[in-house]
Amino acid sequence: MIKIEHLSKTYDDLTVLKDITIDIKKGEVISIIGPSGTGKSTFLRCLNLLDRPSGGSIHVDGVNILDAKADVPRIRQKMNMVFQSFNLFSHLSVLENLTIAPIKLRGMSRQDAELKSLELLKLVGLAEKTDSYPDELSGGQKQRVAIARCLAMKPEIILFDEPTSALDPTMISEVLSVIRRLTKEGITMVIVTHEMDFARDVSSRVLYMDEGLIYEEGTPQQIFENPQKEKTRAFINRIRSFNYRISSPDYDLYAMNAEIETFCEKQILPRKTRHNVLLLVEELLQIYSPYLNATLLDLTLAYSEKRESLELVVESMGEALNPLNKNLLPDELGLNIINSLTESIDYQRLDNRNRLTLHMRKS
Amino acid sequence: MEIQIKKETSATVITITGRFDAVTTPQYEKTMNELITGGDIAFVVDFDGLDYISSAGLRGLLFTAKQLKGKGGQIRFANVKGTVKEVFDISGFGSIFQMDDSVSASLAKVS
Ligand SMILES: Nc1ncnc2c1ncn2[C@@H]1O[C@H](COP(=O)(O)OP(=O)(O)OP(=O)(O)O)[C@@H](O)[C@H]1O
Ligand SMILES: [Mg+2]
Repeated sequence: MIKIEHLSKTYDDLTVLKDITIDIKKGEVISIIGPSGTGKSTFLRCLNLLDRPSGGSIHVDGVNILDAKADVPRIRQKMNMVFQSFNLFSHLSVLENLTIAPIKLRGMSRQDAELKSLELLKLVGLAEKTDSYPDELSGGQKQRVAIARCLAMKPEIILFDEPTSALDPTMISEVLSVIRRLTKEGITMVIVTHEMDFARDVSSRVLYMDEGLIYEEGTPQQIFENPQKEKTRAFINRIRSFNYRISSPDYDLYAMNAEIETFCEKQILPRKTRHNVLLLVEELLQIYSPYLNATLLDLTLAYSEKRESLELVVESMGEALNPLNKNLLPDELGLNIINSLTESIDYQRLDNRNRLTLHMRKS
Repeated sequence: MEIQIKKETSATVITITGRFDAVTTPQYEKTMNELITGGDIAFVVDFDGLDYISSAGLRGLLFTAKQLKGKGGQIRFANVKGTVKEVFDISGFGSIFQMDDSVSASLAKVS
Protein backbone atom coordinates (compact mmCIF):
# COMPACT_ATOMS: atom_id res chain seq x y z
CA MET A 1 0.00 0.00 0.00
CA ILE A 2 2.82 2.43 0.91
CA LYS A 3 6.19 1.87 -0.72
CA ILE A 4 9.03 3.99 0.57
CA GLU A 5 12.44 3.74 -1.06
CA HIS A 6 15.71 5.39 -0.05
CA LEU A 7 13.91 8.25 1.60
CA SER A 8 16.22 10.93 2.98
CA LYS A 9 15.80 14.33 4.57
CA THR A 10 18.43 16.93 5.30
CA TYR A 11 17.90 20.30 6.97
CA ASP A 12 20.79 22.60 5.98
CA ASP A 13 23.73 20.49 7.10
CA LEU A 14 21.78 18.18 9.44
CA THR A 15 20.90 14.81 7.95
CA VAL A 16 17.86 13.57 9.85
CA LEU A 17 16.75 10.70 7.64
CA LYS A 18 19.59 8.87 5.89
CA ASP A 19 18.04 6.08 3.93
CA ILE A 20 14.62 4.69 4.76
CA THR A 21 13.20 1.85 2.72
CA ILE A 22 10.06 0.05 3.78
CA ASP A 23 6.84 -1.42 2.43
CA ILE A 24 3.70 -1.00 4.49
CA LYS A 25 0.86 -3.34 3.62
CA LYS A 26 -2.84 -2.66 3.81
CA GLY A 27 -4.22 -3.22 7.30
CA GLU A 28 -0.85 -3.20 9.03
CA VAL A 29 -0.47 -1.41 12.34
CA ILE A 30 3.08 -0.15 12.56
CA SER A 31 4.59 1.40 15.65
CA ILE A 32 7.67 3.54 15.39
CA ILE A 33 9.76 3.84 18.51
CA GLY A 34 13.17 5.34 19.16
CA PRO A 35 15.07 8.02 21.03
CA SER A 36 14.18 11.68 20.75
CA GLY A 37 15.53 13.49 17.71
CA THR A 38 16.00 10.43 15.51
CA GLY A 39 13.59 11.69 12.86
CA LYS A 40 10.33 9.89 13.69
CA SER A 41 8.21 13.03 13.31
CA THR A 42 10.20 14.07 10.26
CA PHE A 43 9.45 10.70 8.70
CA LEU A 44 5.70 11.08 9.27
CA ARG A 45 5.76 14.66 8.03
CA CYS A 46 7.45 13.51 4.83
CA LEU A 47 4.72 10.90 4.33
CA ASN A 48 2.04 13.52 4.89
CA LEU A 49 3.82 16.00 2.58
CA LEU A 50 4.22 18.52 5.37
CA ASP A 51 7.97 18.26 4.74
CA ARG A 52 9.64 17.80 1.39
CA PRO A 53 12.04 14.81 1.40
CA SER A 54 15.55 15.50 0.10
CA GLY A 55 15.71 12.21 -1.78
CA GLY A 56 14.03 8.89 -2.42
CA SER A 57 10.48 8.03 -3.35
CA ILE A 58 7.10 7.40 -1.75
CA HIS A 59 4.35 5.57 -3.59
CA VAL A 60 0.85 5.11 -2.19
CA ASP A 61 -1.13 2.51 -4.09
CA GLY A 62 1.23 3.02 -7.01
CA VAL A 63 0.87 6.81 -7.05
CA ASN A 64 4.10 8.77 -6.72
CA ILE A 65 3.08 11.31 -4.08
CA LEU A 66 6.27 13.33 -4.47
CA ASP A 67 5.38 14.10 -8.07
CA ALA A 68 4.97 17.85 -8.63
CA LYS A 69 1.54 17.14 -10.11
CA ALA A 70 0.37 15.04 -7.14
CA ASP A 71 -3.04 15.92 -5.74
CA VAL A 72 -1.97 16.89 -2.23
CA PRO A 73 -5.45 17.36 -0.66
CA ARG A 74 -6.52 13.98 -2.06
CA ILE A 75 -3.37 12.34 -0.66
CA ARG A 76 -3.92 13.92 2.77
CA GLN A 77 -7.52 12.75 2.76
CA LYS A 78 -6.42 9.21 2.03
CA MET A 79 -3.50 9.36 4.47
CA ASN A 80 -4.55 11.60 7.34
CA MET A 81 -2.51 12.58 10.36
CA VAL A 82 -3.18 13.03 14.09
CA PHE A 83 -0.77 15.33 15.89
CA GLN A 84 0.65 15.39 19.39
CA SER A 85 -0.78 18.88 19.95
CA PHE A 86 -4.30 18.12 18.58
CA ASN A 87 -4.30 21.07 16.13
CA LEU A 88 -8.05 21.66 16.50
CA PHE A 89 -9.63 24.86 15.16
CA SER A 90 -10.24 26.77 18.38
CA HIS A 91 -12.86 29.13 16.89
CA LEU A 92 -15.03 26.22 15.73
CA SER A 93 -17.26 23.98 17.82
CA VAL A 94 -16.46 20.30 18.16
CA LEU A 95 -19.04 19.43 15.51
CA GLU A 96 -17.78 22.11 13.13
CA ASN A 97 -14.22 20.86 13.58
CA LEU A 98 -15.41 17.53 12.22
CA THR A 99 -17.68 18.75 9.42
CA ILE A 100 -15.58 21.51 7.89
CA ALA A 101 -13.23 19.36 5.85
CA PRO A 102 -15.82 16.84 4.55
CA ILE A 103 -18.01 19.74 3.43
CA LYS A 104 -15.25 21.82 1.88
CA LEU A 105 -12.96 19.14 0.54
CA ARG A 106 -15.20 16.19 -0.11
CA GLY A 107 -18.29 18.16 -1.15
CA MET A 108 -20.55 16.49 1.40
CA SER A 109 -23.86 18.13 2.30
CA ARG A 110 -23.93 19.76 5.74
CA GLN A 111 -26.63 17.35 6.88
CA ASP A 112 -24.71 14.23 5.82
CA ALA A 113 -21.52 15.60 7.33
CA GLU A 114 -23.23 16.30 10.65
CA LEU A 115 -24.83 12.88 10.80
CA LYS A 116 -21.53 11.18 10.05
CA SER A 117 -19.73 13.39 12.57
CA LEU A 118 -22.17 12.57 15.33
CA GLU A 119 -21.59 8.91 14.69
CA LEU A 120 -17.84 9.41 14.95
CA LEU A 121 -18.17 11.45 18.14
CA LYS A 122 -20.14 8.57 19.61
CA LEU A 123 -17.35 6.21 18.59
CA VAL A 124 -14.83 8.26 20.58
CA GLY A 125 -17.27 8.72 23.49
CA LEU A 126 -17.93 12.45 23.03
CA ALA A 127 -21.47 12.62 21.64
CA GLU A 128 -22.52 15.09 24.32
CA LYS A 129 -19.73 17.55 23.46
CA THR A 130 -20.83 18.50 19.95
CA ASP A 131 -21.45 22.15 20.80
CA SER A 132 -18.47 22.64 23.06
CA TYR A 133 -15.38 24.56 21.95
CA PRO A 134 -11.90 23.03 22.12
CA ASP A 135 -10.93 25.27 25.06
CA GLU A 136 -13.69 23.70 27.12
CA LEU A 137 -12.29 20.19 26.72
CA SER A 138 -9.61 18.28 28.58
CA GLY A 139 -6.48 17.20 26.70
CA GLY A 140 -7.74 13.65 26.37
CA GLN A 141 -11.07 14.88 24.99
CA LYS A 142 -9.34 17.21 22.53
CA GLN A 143 -7.27 14.35 21.20
CA ARG A 144 -10.35 12.16 20.83
CA VAL A 145 -12.02 14.97 18.85
CA ALA A 146 -8.88 15.20 16.71
CA ILE A 147 -9.08 11.46 16.03
CA ALA A 148 -12.78 11.71 15.14
CA ARG A 149 -11.98 14.64 12.84
CA CYS A 150 -9.31 12.57 11.16
CA LEU A 151 -11.80 9.70 10.68
CA ALA A 152 -14.37 12.11 9.17
CA MET A 153 -12.15 12.26 6.10
CA LYS A 154 -12.55 8.49 5.67
CA PRO A 155 -8.81 7.92 5.51
CA GLU A 156 -7.37 4.59 4.48
CA ILE A 157 -4.20 5.29 6.37
CA ILE A 158 -3.79 7.19 9.64
CA LEU A 159 -0.48 8.57 10.81
CA PHE A 160 -0.25 9.26 14.55
CA ASP A 161 2.61 11.35 15.89
CA GLU A 162 2.86 10.72 19.62
CA PRO A 163 -0.88 11.13 20.13
CA THR A 164 -0.62 10.88 23.92
CA SER A 165 2.63 12.72 24.67
CA ALA A 166 0.94 16.02 25.45
CA LEU A 167 -1.55 14.42 27.85
CA ASP A 168 -1.66 14.04 31.60
CA PRO A 169 -1.10 10.42 32.63
CA THR A 170 -4.75 10.10 33.67
CA MET A 171 -5.93 10.85 30.11
CA ILE A 172 -3.57 8.65 28.19
CA SER A 173 -5.61 5.50 28.49
CA GLU A 174 -8.86 7.00 27.14
CA VAL A 175 -7.04 8.03 23.96
CA LEU A 176 -5.12 4.79 23.63
CA SER A 177 -8.30 2.78 23.98
CA VAL A 178 -9.89 4.74 21.10
CA ILE A 179 -6.84 4.04 18.91
CA ARG A 180 -6.86 0.43 20.03
CA ARG A 181 -10.46 0.11 18.82
CA LEU A 182 -9.50 1.57 15.44
CA THR A 183 -6.77 -1.00 14.96
CA LYS A 184 -9.49 -3.62 14.81
CA GLU A 185 -11.27 -1.83 11.94
CA GLY A 186 -8.59 -2.71 9.44
CA ILE A 187 -7.36 0.84 8.91
CA THR A 188 -3.67 0.96 8.09
CA MET A 189 -1.86 2.85 10.83
CA VAL A 190 1.58 4.20 11.50
CA ILE A 191 1.95 5.26 15.12
CA VAL A 192 4.94 7.05 16.60
CA THR A 193 4.74 6.43 20.32
CA HIS A 194 6.65 6.25 23.57
CA GLU A 195 3.96 4.01 25.08
CA MET A 196 5.79 0.72 24.92
CA ASP A 197 3.07 -1.53 26.34
CA PHE A 198 0.59 -0.09 23.89
CA ALA A 199 2.96 -0.55 20.94
CA ARG A 200 3.56 -4.13 21.99
CA ASP A 201 -0.18 -4.87 22.19
CA VAL A 202 -1.51 -3.29 19.03
CA SER A 203 1.27 -3.48 16.46
CA SER A 204 1.74 -5.99 13.71
CA ARG A 205 5.24 -4.60 13.24
CA VAL A 206 7.53 -2.39 15.27
CA LEU A 207 10.20 -0.16 13.74
CA TYR A 208 13.02 1.02 15.94
CA MET A 209 14.43 4.24 14.47
CA ASP A 210 17.91 5.46 15.25
CA GLU A 211 20.74 7.16 13.36
CA GLY A 212 18.29 8.28 10.66
CA LEU A 213 17.55 4.70 9.73
CA ILE A 214 15.07 1.97 10.49
CA TYR A 215 17.74 0.52 12.70
CA GLU A 216 15.84 -2.66 13.53
CA GLU A 217 12.37 -3.94 12.75
CA GLY A 218 10.35 -6.95 13.71
CA THR A 219 7.26 -8.25 15.38
CA PRO A 220 6.51 -6.79 18.81
CA GLN A 221 7.80 -10.08 20.19
CA GLN A 222 11.13 -9.77 18.39
CA ILE A 223 11.69 -6.11 19.22
CA PHE A 224 10.52 -6.12 22.82
CA GLU A 225 11.57 -9.58 23.97
CA ASN A 226 14.66 -10.23 21.94
CA PRO A 227 16.12 -7.20 20.17
CA GLN A 228 19.20 -8.15 18.18
CA LYS A 229 21.11 -4.90 17.94
CA GLU A 230 22.83 -3.13 20.78
CA LYS A 231 21.12 0.26 20.51
CA THR A 232 17.69 -1.33 20.27
CA ARG A 233 18.44 -3.36 23.35
CA ALA A 234 19.66 -0.31 25.25
CA PHE A 235 16.52 1.60 24.30
CA ILE A 236 14.09 -1.21 25.13
CA ASN A 237 15.70 -1.97 28.46
CA ARG A 238 16.17 1.73 29.17
CA ILE A 239 19.85 1.24 29.74
CA ARG A 240 21.97 4.17 30.72
CA SER A 241 25.66 3.87 31.07
CA PHE A 242 28.72 5.55 32.40
CA ASN A 243 32.28 5.11 31.12
CA TYR A 244 35.54 5.73 32.83
CA ARG A 245 39.04 5.14 31.54
CA ILE A 246 41.97 4.36 33.82
CA SER A 247 45.25 5.10 32.09
CA SER A 248 47.81 4.97 34.87
CA PRO A 249 48.52 3.05 38.09
CA ASP A 250 48.27 6.41 39.86
CA TYR A 251 44.61 6.84 39.00
CA ASP A 252 42.57 9.16 41.18
CA LEU A 253 40.16 6.87 43.04
CA TYR A 254 38.21 9.76 44.53
CA ALA A 255 37.75 11.62 41.24
CA MET A 256 36.36 8.40 39.76
CA ASN A 257 34.19 7.75 42.83
CA ALA A 258 32.70 11.23 42.53
CA GLU A 259 31.71 10.54 38.92
CA ILE A 260 30.23 7.15 39.79
CA GLU A 261 28.25 8.76 42.61
CA THR A 262 26.88 11.40 40.25
CA PHE A 263 25.84 8.74 37.75
CA CYS A 264 24.17 6.65 40.47
CA GLU A 265 22.35 9.68 41.84
CA LYS A 266 21.01 10.49 38.38
CA GLN A 267 19.59 6.98 38.18
CA ILE A 268 18.17 7.45 41.68
CA LEU A 269 19.90 4.32 42.94
CA PRO A 270 19.60 3.68 46.66
CA ARG A 271 22.50 4.54 48.95
CA LYS A 272 23.30 0.89 49.59
CA THR A 273 23.58 0.19 45.87
CA ARG A 274 25.88 3.19 45.45
CA HIS A 275 28.05 1.89 48.25
CA ASN A 276 28.23 -1.54 46.65
CA VAL A 277 29.15 -0.13 43.24
CA LEU A 278 32.03 1.86 44.75
CA LEU A 279 33.22 -1.18 46.68
CA LEU A 280 33.04 -3.44 43.63
CA VAL A 281 34.98 -0.97 41.50
CA GLU A 282 37.64 -0.42 44.16
CA GLU A 283 38.14 -4.16 44.62
CA LEU A 284 38.45 -4.71 40.88
CA LEU A 285 40.94 -1.89 40.46
CA GLN A 286 42.98 -3.26 43.32
CA ILE A 287 43.17 -6.60 41.53
CA TYR A 288 44.02 -4.95 38.21
CA SER A 289 46.66 -2.66 39.74
CA PRO A 290 49.69 -4.84 38.89
CA TYR A 291 48.73 -4.58 35.20
CA LEU A 292 47.94 -0.89 34.99
CA ASN A 293 51.44 0.05 33.81
CA ALA A 294 50.90 -2.00 30.68
CA THR A 295 47.26 -1.49 29.82
CA LEU A 296 44.46 0.99 29.77
CA LEU A 297 41.36 -0.07 31.63
CA ASP A 298 37.90 0.85 30.36
CA LEU A 299 35.09 0.62 32.87
CA THR A 300 31.45 0.74 31.81
CA LEU A 301 28.70 0.81 34.36
CA ALA A 302 25.30 0.17 32.78
CA TYR A 303 22.00 0.47 34.54
CA SER A 304 18.83 -1.01 33.07
CA GLU A 305 15.89 0.90 34.46
CA LYS A 306 13.50 -1.72 33.16
CA ARG A 307 15.25 -4.64 34.81
CA GLU A 308 16.58 -2.55 37.66
CA SER A 309 19.90 -4.24 37.12
CA LEU A 310 23.47 -3.02 37.12
CA GLU A 311 26.25 -4.41 35.01
CA LEU A 312 29.91 -3.53 35.22
CA VAL A 313 32.17 -4.25 32.25
CA VAL A 314 35.95 -3.97 32.55
CA GLU A 315 38.00 -4.12 29.37
CA SER A 316 41.77 -4.34 29.19
CA MET A 317 44.27 -4.72 26.39
CA GLY A 318 47.33 -6.94 26.10
CA GLU A 319 47.64 -10.67 26.40
CA ALA A 320 44.83 -12.93 27.54
CA LEU A 321 44.25 -12.30 31.21
CA ASN A 322 41.47 -12.96 33.62
CA PRO A 323 42.87 -11.29 36.73
CA LEU A 324 40.24 -12.92 38.94
CA ASN A 325 42.01 -16.23 38.51
CA LYS A 326 42.77 -17.31 42.10
CA ASN A 327 46.28 -18.46 41.23
CA LEU A 328 47.24 -14.91 40.28
CA LEU A 329 46.06 -13.33 43.50
CA PRO A 330 48.12 -12.82 46.68
CA ASP A 331 45.01 -13.42 48.81
CA GLU A 332 41.29 -13.90 48.29
CA LEU A 333 40.04 -10.98 50.35
CA GLY A 334 39.10 -8.85 47.36
CA LEU A 335 37.76 -11.79 45.35
CA ASN A 336 35.46 -12.80 48.21
CA ILE A 337 34.04 -9.30 48.34
CA ILE A 338 33.58 -9.23 44.57
CA ASN A 339 31.82 -12.60 44.61
CA SER A 340 29.49 -11.49 47.36
CA LEU A 341 28.51 -8.35 45.44
CA THR A 342 27.83 -10.07 42.12
CA GLU A 343 25.38 -12.57 40.72
CA SER A 344 27.57 -13.64 37.84
CA ILE A 345 31.00 -12.93 36.44
CA ASP A 346 31.90 -13.68 32.87
CA TYR A 347 35.33 -13.47 31.24
CA GLN A 348 35.69 -13.20 27.48
CA ARG A 349 38.61 -12.73 25.13
CA LEU A 350 37.51 -10.58 22.17
CA ASP A 351 39.79 -9.19 19.40
CA ASN A 352 42.85 -8.82 21.59
CA ARG A 353 40.85 -7.41 24.45
CA ASN A 354 39.92 -8.96 27.76
CA ARG A 355 36.40 -8.33 28.84
CA LEU A 356 35.13 -9.03 32.31
CA THR A 357 31.37 -8.64 32.76
CA LEU A 358 29.95 -8.55 36.27
CA HIS A 359 26.26 -8.52 37.07
CA MET A 360 25.62 -6.99 40.43
CA ARG A 361 23.45 -8.65 42.97
CA LYS A 362 20.38 -6.64 43.96
CA SER A 363 20.89 -4.97 47.28
CA MET B 1 39.64 9.06 56.81
CA GLU B 2 40.15 10.99 59.99
CA ILE B 3 42.06 9.40 62.85
CA GLN B 4 41.88 10.51 66.47
CA ILE B 5 44.10 9.14 69.19
CA LYS B 6 43.20 9.13 72.87
CA LYS B 7 45.29 7.46 75.54
CA GLU B 8 43.20 5.78 78.23
CA THR B 9 44.72 3.99 81.22
CA SER B 10 44.30 0.47 79.88
CA ALA B 11 44.71 1.15 76.14
CA THR B 12 45.03 3.70 73.35
CA VAL B 13 41.68 4.41 71.68
CA ILE B 14 41.90 5.01 67.92
CA THR B 15 38.76 6.60 66.46
CA ILE B 16 38.51 6.28 62.68
CA THR B 17 35.87 8.10 60.64
CA GLY B 18 35.03 8.24 56.94
CA ARG B 19 36.50 5.84 54.42
CA PHE B 20 38.99 3.05 54.99
CA ASP B 21 40.11 2.30 51.44
CA ALA B 22 43.16 1.92 49.21
CA VAL B 23 43.84 5.65 49.52
CA THR B 24 43.56 5.99 53.30
CA THR B 25 44.95 2.65 54.52
CA PRO B 26 48.60 3.87 54.46
CA GLN B 27 47.52 6.68 56.81
CA TYR B 28 46.17 4.13 59.32
CA GLU B 29 49.22 1.91 59.02
CA LYS B 30 51.58 4.85 59.52
CA THR B 31 49.76 6.16 62.60
CA MET B 32 49.66 2.73 64.20
CA ASN B 33 53.28 2.03 63.36
CA GLU B 34 54.35 5.24 65.10
CA LEU B 35 52.34 4.40 68.22
CA ILE B 36 53.63 0.83 68.36
CA THR B 37 57.21 1.99 67.82
CA GLY B 38 56.62 4.48 70.64
CA GLY B 39 55.79 1.63 72.99
CA ASP B 40 51.96 1.34 72.89
CA ILE B 41 50.85 -2.27 72.80
CA ALA B 42 47.12 -2.19 73.75
CA PHE B 43 44.60 -0.66 71.33
CA VAL B 44 40.86 -0.22 70.94
CA VAL B 45 39.74 0.87 67.47
CA ASP B 46 36.39 2.64 67.39
CA PHE B 47 34.57 2.05 64.04
CA ASP B 48 31.48 4.06 64.96
CA GLY B 49 32.08 6.81 62.40
CA LEU B 50 33.36 4.56 59.60
CA ASP B 51 31.12 4.41 56.49
CA TYR B 52 33.21 2.30 54.20
CA ILE B 53 35.88 -0.37 54.25
CA SER B 54 37.43 -2.30 51.38
CA SER B 55 39.84 -5.22 51.31
CA ALA B 56 42.68 -2.69 51.36
CA GLY B 57 41.42 -1.53 54.75
CA LEU B 58 41.12 -5.09 55.98
CA ARG B 59 44.71 -5.77 54.95
CA GLY B 60 45.77 -2.68 56.89
CA LEU B 61 44.00 -3.96 60.01
CA LEU B 62 45.59 -7.35 59.58
CA PHE B 63 49.05 -5.91 59.03
CA THR B 64 48.92 -3.86 62.22
CA ALA B 65 47.46 -6.74 64.23
CA LYS B 66 50.35 -8.99 63.17
CA GLN B 67 52.85 -6.30 64.05
CA LEU B 68 51.31 -6.07 67.52
CA LYS B 69 51.20 -9.79 68.01
CA GLY B 70 54.97 -9.91 67.49
CA LYS B 71 55.30 -7.56 70.46
CA GLY B 72 52.83 -9.40 72.68
CA GLY B 73 50.29 -6.59 72.28
CA GLN B 74 46.56 -6.69 71.70
CA ILE B 75 43.86 -4.91 69.68
CA ARG B 76 40.04 -4.89 70.02
CA PHE B 77 37.44 -3.39 67.69
CA ALA B 78 34.35 -1.54 68.89
CA ASN B 79 31.16 -0.56 67.02
CA VAL B 80 31.74 -2.53 63.83
CA LYS B 81 28.34 -2.30 62.14
CA GLY B 82 26.35 -1.82 58.94
CA THR B 83 28.10 -2.19 55.61
CA VAL B 84 31.47 -2.30 57.36
CA LYS B 85 30.32 -5.30 59.38
CA GLU B 86 29.09 -6.97 56.19
CA VAL B 87 32.54 -6.67 54.63
CA PHE B 88 34.08 -8.10 57.82
CA ASP B 89 31.69 -11.04 57.68
CA ILE B 90 32.23 -11.76 53.97
CA SER B 91 35.96 -11.90 54.62
CA GLY B 92 35.75 -14.03 57.76
CA PHE B 93 37.24 -11.17 59.80
CA GLY B 94 34.39 -11.32 62.28
CA SER B 95 36.07 -14.38 63.79
CA ILE B 96 39.70 -13.28 63.47
CA PHE B 97 39.32 -10.10 65.48
CA GLN B 98 37.88 -9.47 68.90
CA MET B 99 34.90 -7.22 68.64
CA ASP B 100 32.70 -5.44 71.16
CA ASP B 101 29.54 -3.35 71.09
CA SER B 102 31.13 -0.25 72.60
CA VAL B 103 34.46 1.36 73.37
CA SER B 104 33.89 0.97 77.10
CA ALA B 105 33.21 -2.76 76.66
CA SER B 106 36.45 -3.06 74.70
CA LEU B 107 38.41 -1.11 77.29
CA ALA B 108 37.03 -3.31 80.04
CA LYS B 109 38.24 -6.41 78.22
CA VAL B 110 41.75 -5.22 77.51
CA SER B 111 43.84 -6.97 80.08
N1 LIG C 1 12.18 22.29 10.39
C1 LIG C 1 13.35 21.88 10.89
N2 LIG C 1 14.48 22.57 10.64
C2 LIG C 1 15.67 22.15 11.14
N3 LIG C 1 15.83 21.03 11.88
C3 LIG C 1 14.75 20.32 12.15
C4 LIG C 1 13.45 20.68 11.68
N4 LIG C 1 12.55 19.76 12.11
C5 LIG C 1 13.26 18.85 12.82
N5 LIG C 1 14.56 19.18 12.84
C6 LIG C 1 15.64 18.41 13.50
O1 LIG C 1 15.58 17.10 13.02
C7 LIG C 1 15.88 16.16 14.05
C8 LIG C 1 14.78 15.11 14.14
O2 LIG C 1 13.59 15.73 14.61
P1 LIG C 1 12.25 14.91 14.78
O3 LIG C 1 11.26 15.88 15.31
O4 LIG C 1 11.93 14.21 13.50
O5 LIG C 1 12.67 13.86 15.88
P2 LIG C 1 11.73 12.80 16.65
O6 LIG C 1 12.34 11.47 16.43
O7 LIG C 1 10.32 12.99 16.26
O8 LIG C 1 11.95 13.22 18.17
P3 LIG C 1 10.90 13.22 19.40
O9 LIG C 1 10.86 11.81 19.92
O10 LIG C 1 11.56 14.14 20.38
O11 LIG C 1 9.60 13.72 18.88
C9 LIG C 1 16.06 16.97 15.31
O12 LIG C 1 17.45 17.13 15.53
C10 LIG C 1 15.42 18.29 14.99
O13 LIG C 1 16.03 19.33 15.69
MG1 LIG D 1 8.60 13.69 17.28
